[in-house]
Amino acid sequence: MNEVIKTQNLSIGYNGKPLMADINVSLNAGDIVALAGPNGAGKTTLFKTLTASIKPVSGEVSLMGRNLSDYSATERASMFSLVLTDKPDDMFLKVFDIVAAGRYPYMGLLARLKDKDREIVMQSLDTVGITELAERNFISLSDGEKQKVMIAKALAQDTPIIFMDEPAAFLDYPSKIELIHLMKRLSREQGKTILFSSHDLELLLRYSDQMWLVAPKKSLKVGSPKELVDNGIIDKYFPPISAKELFSPIL
Amino acid sequence: MSILILGLFLFVLNLIIGSVSISWNDFSKAVFEAEDSTFRSIIIDYRLPQAITALLAGIGLSVSGLLMQTLFRNPLADPSILGISSGASLGVALVVLLGGSALAGLSWWSTMGISMAAFIGAFLVLLLILSLSSRLNSMVSLILVGIMIAYIAGSVTDVLKFMGQKDDVHAFVVWGLGSFSSIGKAQLPFLGIVVAVGVVAAFLLSKTLNLLLLGQRYAENLGLNIRRSSMFVILVSGLLTAVVTAFCGPIAFLGLAVPHIARFLFKTSDHRLLLPATALIGMDLALFCNLIARLPGFDGNLPINSVTALIGAPVVLAVIFKSQKTIK
Repeated sequence: MNEVIKTQNLSIGYNGKPLMADINVSLNAGDIVALAGPNGAGKTTLFKTLTASIKPVSGEVSLMGRNLSDYSATERASMFSLVLTDKPDDMFLKVFDIVAAGRYPYMGLLARLKDKDREIVMQSLDTVGITELAERNFISLSDGEKQKVMIAKALAQDTPIIFMDEPAAFLDYPSKIELIHLMKRLSREQGKTILFSSHDLELLLRYSDQMWLVAPKKSLKVGSPKELVDNGIIDKYFPPISAKELFSPIL
Repeated sequence: MSILILGLFLFVLNLIIGSVSISWNDFSKAVFEAEDSTFRSIIIDYRLPQAITALLAGIGLSVSGLLMQTLFRNPLADPSILGISSGASLGVALVVLLGGSALAGLSWWSTMGISMAAFIGAFLVLLLILSLSSRLNSMVSLILVGIMIAYIAGSVTDVLKFMGQKDDVHAFVVWGLGSFSSIGKAQLPFLGIVVAVGVVAAFLLSKTLNLLLLGQRYAENLGLNIRRSSMFVILVSGLLTAVVTAFCGPIAFLGLAVPHIARFLFKTSDHRLLLPATALIGMDLALFCNLIARLPGFDGNLPINSVTALIGAPVVLAVIFKSQKTIK
């Protein structure tokens, strides 16, 4: 089966009020898909719906051919992992402990790490290249390093799908490039399916296999970056800023 | 380990030191040779229950505080944050200030009645919070609801105090200062069992607590049912607070400070280590405070609440400043 996630006539929003309707998209195994659009277009809402954090207003989401709402919380935990913009802020949380939390869905009540779990945690740290940070306190890390820790946690969770909400938002340029290379590597070498959201046009165009475009009051459009540029759709969703606008003084 | 030994040492000191000074010789005779003497009765009937109460209260409040701080991811959260101890105070105010003179003649009934009233008041608030928590989406709303309940209970208590008889008000104020000595041997097992059950339950929640530290959405993604887990955490913490407050009065500070001391000393936020550490440090600090409160020369017992912060705050400050260099 190639489609890991598929939506049918999905309508999303809060308290029964649809924010975006008629969403019919699918996510193919091993792809890197970008959910793109300006802030406030509903990217986070779609994210939360696809990760079962909120319920669809109508329509359905199927995960590996089964309705998402039929999965238990523990089952979901082994299907997809999250990398979010909000990060843990506890003063003594160690990098190792955060990554080890990725193993929690597979552990019993007392959360005892077995040798195999420990190995997976160290492997995950190694994959993102931060083995030497294992014993550091999380809050003392840079934004780029924190991002890597959360990705390592997602890897330790050992899920076929990884959702990343605005993964590039707080990163400087070199860290962004590094992040993209890491994402490519995960998809090519480990067959991970990655859905990430962003409003960074350059990042989106250069590095995604497929884009889901959203904008306020517009329907969701799907295509490869090249298709979307060629048929001019991207300009409608990301209206270019005129030089005049950029130049005008801010009052 | 050293915390446990320190605890044992403090426990023995709690039995030896007091307004009646007992020499080591008399102490060992009274305890180990079961020689019938006044010393024996002072130690067994008076100091032992008090030391055990202090120990249990210290453990209970500290663990309860840790649960609240983790649940709300807020370093200022403490056992009283959900209004549970205010509920206890209100219960006691109702009994003492409205029925005070009627109870005055019956001393056993009055201590028992006060504990019952406090426990019922605390428990009702706990039930209220639990039922409301299933309707609230965010921890911030929950914390605000708790604080509002605390204010309401506090105001009613104030009105009762304003209208009460002078002697009853005095009795109420004394209760509010906290004490480890107003509990009899008969009630001790009850306090012991509830605290033990609460601490074991809290330990079984370690995994949940560790997940909550990552934030709600990560915790949820890792398979945690947020609502159900927060209800468990509130239930365990609330029960510990309710039972300790019922027997010892609203003891401040321990529940707020001890988890921080444990974190800074052990440099961890893994609850499988943090929870036992918090319990033991809570035990030590409570025993130490109890010792200070009845040092010879203070003419009987100082109120516990005036000692906990006075002794505890410098300890917290020292621990924080000492570890400033080592963090990072």
